[in-house]
Amino acid sequence: MSHPAGVDEHTADTSSYDRTGDVRMTSSHIVGLVARREILTRLKDKGFIVSSIFIIVLIMGSVVFQVLIQSGASSVAVGITGGPQYFSAAIEEQADALGLDAEVTEYDDESTAREAVQSEEIDAAVVDGNSVLVNESLDDALGAAISGAINGLTHAQRLADEGVSPEILQPVSLDVMSLQPAADAADEKGLVAFVSILLLYTLLIFFGQFIAQGVVEEKASRVIEVLLAAVKPWQLLAGKIIGLGVLAFAQLLIICAVGLGGAIAFDVITVPGAAIATVVQVLGWFVLGFTLVAALFAVCGALVSRQEDLQTVLLPMTLILVAALVLAITAGQNPNGTLAKVTSFVPALSTMVMPVRVATGSVAWWEIVLAVILMLATIVAVVRIGGRIYSGALLGKGGRVKVRDALAAERVS
Amino acid sequence: MLEFDGLRKSYGTNLVLDDVSFTVAPGQMYGFCGANGAGKTTTMRIALGLARADAGEVRWKQQPVDLELRRRIGYMPEERGLYPKMPVVEQLEYFGRLHGMNTAAARKSASLLLEGMGLGERSKDALEKLSLGNQQRVQLAAALVSNPDVLILDEPFSGLDPTGVDALAANLAERRWRGVPVLFSSHQLDLVERLCDAVGILAGGKIVASGTVGQLREREANRQLRVVIAGSDGRWARELGYVRVDSDRDGEVLLQLDDPGRDQDVLSAAMASGPVSHFGWRQPTLVEIFREAVAA
Repeated sequence: MSHPAGVDEHTADTSSYDRTGDVRMTSSHIVGLVARREILTRLKDKGFIVSSIFIIVLIMGSVVFQVLIQSGASSVAVGITGGPQYFSAAIEEQADALGLDAEVTEYDDESTAREAVQSEEIDAAVVDGNSVLVNESLDDALGAAISGAINGLTHAQRLADEGVSPEILQPVSLDVMSLQPAADAADEKGLVAFVSILLLYTLLIFFGQFIAQGVVEEKASRVIEVLLAAVKPWQLLAGKIIGLGVLAFAQLLIICAVGLGGAIAFDVITVPGAAIATVVQVLGWFVLGFTLVAALFAVCGALVSRQEDLQTVLLPMTLILVAALVLAITAGQNPNGTLAKVTSFVPALSTMVMPVRVATGSVAWWEIVLAVILMLATIVAVVRIGGRIYSGALLGKGGRVKVRDALAAERVS
Repeated sequence: MLEFDGLRKSYGTNLVLDDVSFTVAPGQMYGFCGANGAGKTTTMRIALGLARADAGEVRWKQQPVDLELRRRIGYMPEERGLYPKMPVVEQLEYFGRLHGMNTAAARKSASLLLEGMGLGERSKDALEKLSLGNQQRVQLAAALVSNPDVLILDEPFSGLDPTGVDALAANLAERRWRGVPVLFSSHQLDLVERLCDAVGILAGGKIVASGTVGQLREREANRQLRVVIAGSDGRWARELGYVRVDSDRDGEVLLQLDDPGRDQDVLSAAMASGPVSHFGWRQPTLVEIFREAVAA
């Protein structure tokens, strides 16, 4: 076409805007900008903050619950007045054998012992080695401990009276050969692993939903059109995953720190080293699992245009996570079973099953490496194929985009 | 120069763009007209990389437009869209930065634009709290915030009241003065006629007319000569053998010439029949040009 009219005086081929302050737009800068927006937006979102606090409280609650169950190893206070020699030591010994932690106090006479029982200072008072004072009823285990102690001492006395050395009563000591030498430690690691995968599951679902909602919001509000004119789809996807990943990881760290601190303080776990190792391992698996889940959820979100349709497309993903949780709990009960072994290598499931296996069973180092490699390979595949679906589906209009159509759709450069 | 060169695009068997070529010069305001579904939006989306052409390309300063160049384009999509819950100044700043501005420059530009649009007070409000008209202004601000080298605006005037139209026109005029080529689509042809240096008319996926408004008028096939002789009927014209009278009313005659070179003969004949108060080629409106181009 010929020359345009009316523009002769200012047809310089450059505009007169000052560009000296412009930033070089590397991919990492763009991804950083997107991630920054995600983080700032979420931190200002009341819904997000409230749900986050709810999750933290929920996890703390489950830790406290575990503490209460664990501390069920009850202690009892017993008073004695009169009775055979070595009586108090015998009661403590018998109680210990029955799993009770007995604290024995000697009283001068029956009336002071009775007062102590009435004021609930002690659970029971043994008078003269032949009667027991209690408020309502005698705890079975405590009763057994007391009668065991009296019987033992009486038998020893009678034998001594007959001239038999009490030595004969020394119980045959049993040689206990533990098949799992660190059974206690494994239990503790198992507990930490269980709480951790529960936490993992909750956070993965929670943040997966947030990512998918964010993707749908950009589609539903059509802001995606403005964004993709300046940003590549994969940069947008990566920014979202990293942004929400930072928030999720921060939340996980807070919960782990408080939870672990609390558990150590309340003596739920006594081997902090092992527990910390388990937590660190769970954190590592969380990073892998989060990347995979976030990418999958984002791709699903891109397939729909309305928040109402979101749950339908997310259902299969949610089911995978539920399956992983169930398998992980099963693995906790039978860490060396075939099911646990196989599923600990299956990507996505491995995120939750493998940490449990490591914490409760014996896992060779190469098994962990293999599971991690399989997981990384899956992440690469999902990000590549999912990224194509994501970019193909993002600009699709109305209703639900089919995966095949999204893959075939024009790819935005 | 912003060049659209041989764009071709079909969705399935539906051919949407058929060899669309036109050029927008720096500082030029180019009005893109066409009926609904003519392919205006598809053409613009191809320039922004939101759709892929089957053939042809879009160039800016002789370079095929890639993502790097696209960051220098301000774009207002047909379907408006911004983050509904994000404060307006923050989103403008975000878009400025996505287009390569540093934080301070983006912040300054965002505030200036909002103040210029009378939205300074609302800058911290979430977008969804603004009226639709004001949301439209923010959308435009999002296209302008990075001080783009090229503006591509899809129906920027739709939904604006006359004050809004004037404010937008003034803003675009200023950008244009800096040498920014402005491509905008509209089906408000009176607006295009008033604001644009050049016009492209798209019909059935083809550019059926393109050029300055003056050029289009000259090219107009059925040009009419308007002659007014007070108190005369049109018989003097009908008696001329070489004209066709289109209308004759109250002394005003609209006629077409088989040979436009004989206009002076018509004048002589008119003067002979009475006092001529008006004689001239009638300027067809853009609407008429449009109708004819689309019908052709």
